[in-house]
Amino acid sequence: MKVWVIAEQKEGELRRVSRELAAKGATLGDLTVLRVTGEHVSAVAAATALAERATAESPDLILAGATPGGRDVAARLAAKLKRAYLSECTDLTVDGSSIEASRGMYAGKVRARVRAALPAVCSVRPNAFPLPDESSEPALADVAAGDAQGLAFVRFEPTASSGGRVPLSEARVIVSGGRGLKGPEGWPQVEALADVLGAALGASRAVTDAGWRPNEEQVGQTGKTVAPDLYIALGISGAIQHLAGMTSSKVIVAVNKDPDADIFKVADYGIVGDVFEFLPAFTDAVKRVKAAS
Amino acid sequence: MRLLICIKQVPDSTTRVKVATDGRSIVTDGVTWSISPYDEYAIELALEHKDTAPDAVVSVVGPLGIADALRAVVEELKPDLVLCGRQASDDDEGFVGPALAEALGWPHVSQVTRLEPDSGQLWKEVEGGHEVWKVSGGAVLTVQKSAKDPRYPSLPGIMKAKKKEIPERSVAGVEDPVKLEIVKLEPPPARGGGKIFKDGDTKAHAAELATLLRDEAKVL
Repeated sequence: MKVWVIAEQKEGELRRVSRELAAKGATLGDLTVLRVTGEHVSAVAAATALAERATAESPDLILAGATPGGRDVAARLAAKLKRAYLSECTDLTVDGSSIEASRGMYAGKVRARVRAALPAVCSVRPNAFPLPDESSEPALADVAAGDAQGLAFVRFEPTASSGGRVPLSEARVIVSGGRGLKGPEGWPQVEALADVLGAALGASRAVTDAGWRPNEEQVGQTGKTVAPDLYIALGISGAIQHLAGMTSSKVIVAVNKDPDADIFKVADYGIVGDVFEFLPAFTDAVKRVKAAS
Repeated sequence: MRLLICIKQVPDSTTRVKVATDGRSIVTDGVTWSISPYDEYAIELALEHKDTAPDAVVSVVGPLGIADALRAVVEELKPDLVLCGRQASDDDEGFVGPALAEALGWPHVSQVTRLEPDSGQLWKEVEGGHEVWKVSGGAVLTVQKSAKDPRYPSLPGIMKAKKKEIPERSVAGVEDPVKLEIVKLEPPPARGGGKIFKDGDTKAHAAELATLLRDEAKVL
């Protein structure tokens, strides 16, 4: 079976999710890892270039990371090739001429097992497959993309607060803040903890709606669905829409003043208490524990 | 500028979705149906420009669901841009927008949070910021949640909407070669029974928690 992985790079390095998929792809069949090259390539231009090559080489399965960019290209490519598209998969098994995948539906409130005939295109969530320690950098085949007709790149406008952190969708550890932090002035302490943990920052909808944090940090329905190894919810009550977006995390820690908060129903570890008392003490403790190990 | 918005009817986001006994569908009794949340942002994005540009036509197409059927509508109504939510909140696929663009032979831009119809510029949310793109000619935009909340309908607006006829079109005969088969639906694994420190010194618990995360949960 021919397997393609559409790789993404970030700051000149292959993204972790691309390496996870390359490792998985190698176990499924004859693997080619492709990189789309060009300046400010739109999803449609990338899909056009990839489709041309796919028509010539007929891969049975095309995998892309379920990142904003990967999803975008994968969906357009599937439409172009008129192939089944399985999005945001968290697991997949190939059986002869068909593929079965696990994926969330209803913003994570339901887990689905879906099946489609090969050939197919899948976008796969980061952290869905382990990254073997000894995995070597896969060889990349370049696919040059041109411009899309009727679409031109103008400029990039960075979000002020996002500098240097792991993207939320790919993070192994997420520190997420809610209304309990009382305002944007509560965040330096959250960031201090995130720095110590090498974590990405998340937020509840209440927080992004109030403009305390940018929208792209929102976790839950209408935000991002995440499944890190460790999710720390600070001052988040746990609305159903938020829980749907993070309940697949491996370990959930919740800190909230309200002992009846719904977040404690999904937490592996919870502390009923003041988040501002918790934060400096916990940040110090993490530093100590990390230094000792 | 003519804007066409595609919307889908989905269980309201506050709904506790239950898997039906067949294990392949959901229980629809008692479900409140709403417009998919991202579609509401698409409507808001369009309405914003209806406020400023009196010649804008905002049409809402009902949940036809299939890109090819939508293509026929687009070709008939000839909008300049088509807007839809970046994904429906039931199947969470994010496929119809790009597929519709492909059917039309148009470019698409996903995760759009802002639109400037006069200049054709639009803002696409990416990791770490926004990319500004300029469209000339038809395009499909899939709309991401933005800072501007969808407005509440006015009372006269609701009355008018009740009388409005929603034309239905048959999608029979539309071939879908890529339909996914649902093998099984199930609720996410139950969680709970965690260690909750209810009383005592928060600082002491914080220190203990760090040790537990390293030694017991092995995530530090």
